[in-house]
Amino acid sequence: MTLLSRLCALTVCAAGCLTPLAAFSHAALIEAETAQAVRLHAFYDTGKPMSHAQVIIYAPDNPVSAWGQGVTDRDGRLEFVLGSETGRWSFQVRQSGHGAMVHVDVTDDAPVVVATGGAQSWGQRLLMVALVAWGALGTALFALTRRKGRDASA
Amino acid sequence: MTRVFVLATMAALNSFSAHAGSLTLFASGEDLATEGFNAPKLTKDGWALEFTSIFATFDQITAWQTDPPFMAEGPEITGVALPFDGPFTVDLVDADDNDLVELATITAPAGHFNALSWALVPGDEGFSLVFEGIARKDGQEVEFTLRSADAIAHACGEYLGDERKGFVTEGGEADLEITLHLDHLFGRADKADDDEVNLEAIGFAPFATGGEFDFSLDGLHLGHFGEGHCHDSAL
Repeated sequence: MTLLSRLCALTVCAAGCLTPLAAFSHAALIEAETAQAVRLHAFYDTGKPMSHAQVIIYAPDNPVSAWGQGVTDRDGRLEFVLGSETGRWSFQVRQSGHGAMVHVDVTDDAPVVVATGGAQSWGQRLLMVALVAWGALGTALFALTRRKGRDASA
Repeated sequence: MTRVFVLATMAALNSFSAHAGSLTLFASGEDLATEGFNAPKLTKDGWALEFTSIFATFDQITAWQTDPPFMAEGPEITGVALPFDGPFTVDLVDADDNDLVELATITAPAGHFNALSWALVPGDEGFSLVFEGIARKDGQEVEFTLRSADAIAHACGEYLGDERKGFVTEGGEADLEITLHLDHLFGRADKADDDEVNLEAIGFAPFATGGEFDFSLDGLHLGHFGEGHCHDSAL
């Protein structure tokens, strides 16, 4: 968590603590932090997306076993937040017995795409692009507190 | 160029041999080789195929450690090379329970072998790939022998499959698998007519009279590295 995000979270929490909850019908608490995110786009060179394809993620500290899994959307895209481990993250996309990989090196500074998948299949090519979002993706937590016996929608 | 680099790196690999593991190389035609094409996995033109043998000859095999990872976008691989002796002629029907046929096991330095170069080449009888078997459709039954004399070089990126492969550790064992996707030749009835595999595949109809036929591997892209793809080129 960066210094700025820590300060933001601290400010929000402090505001929540200093104000009595009973004074509000709802109390909204927000925690936010920046994170490194990767956006995958898997498609064929014809432009046809690898829709609903399986994605397997390998972390730097254990490249043999899957760190996580996902499924691309109908446009062949998947976005997710990386773990904290620096090193090489690898992403495998598979569909109908064929697949491709992409690799991203994560450092303390910023992630770098080191190899993007591309392989000939029949007359097409499987392509995969990894785009890296740095420090722009936030997470938020909302906590609602309701006054007892009162309709929260009122 | 590749051969020169192989020779250059062989000496370097010798220094690792005192502290090394092993790397086993398999070949597979998957279940379509061992079990044949059966409903719903008939050929794209509706034939059931039962193979009595599928002889394939592999040569010029080298496992590679590459960084950055080789992505099969061209014929040349650079990195730490581990060559296998060859050629190997094997029957892909005579496989183990996992549809695998072992080609060789060699000592290997620790590291991730994330690329493989290999070639289908004509064997002693002049053919790189020979299918023998029986085809059935609508009460018709024909015996066939399909032969290709083509030599095709493959340069493959990382093996792709249910598990990641090729990680050799000190004293450990690892394996890799050359994979022939037979549906790229015969097509699949359980896939759409406009599916890429059916658009490119020959199917069985051209051989439906039975007997001996020669066919070309050009443009079929049978050779894979598990589910991973290879750049292929005629030798």
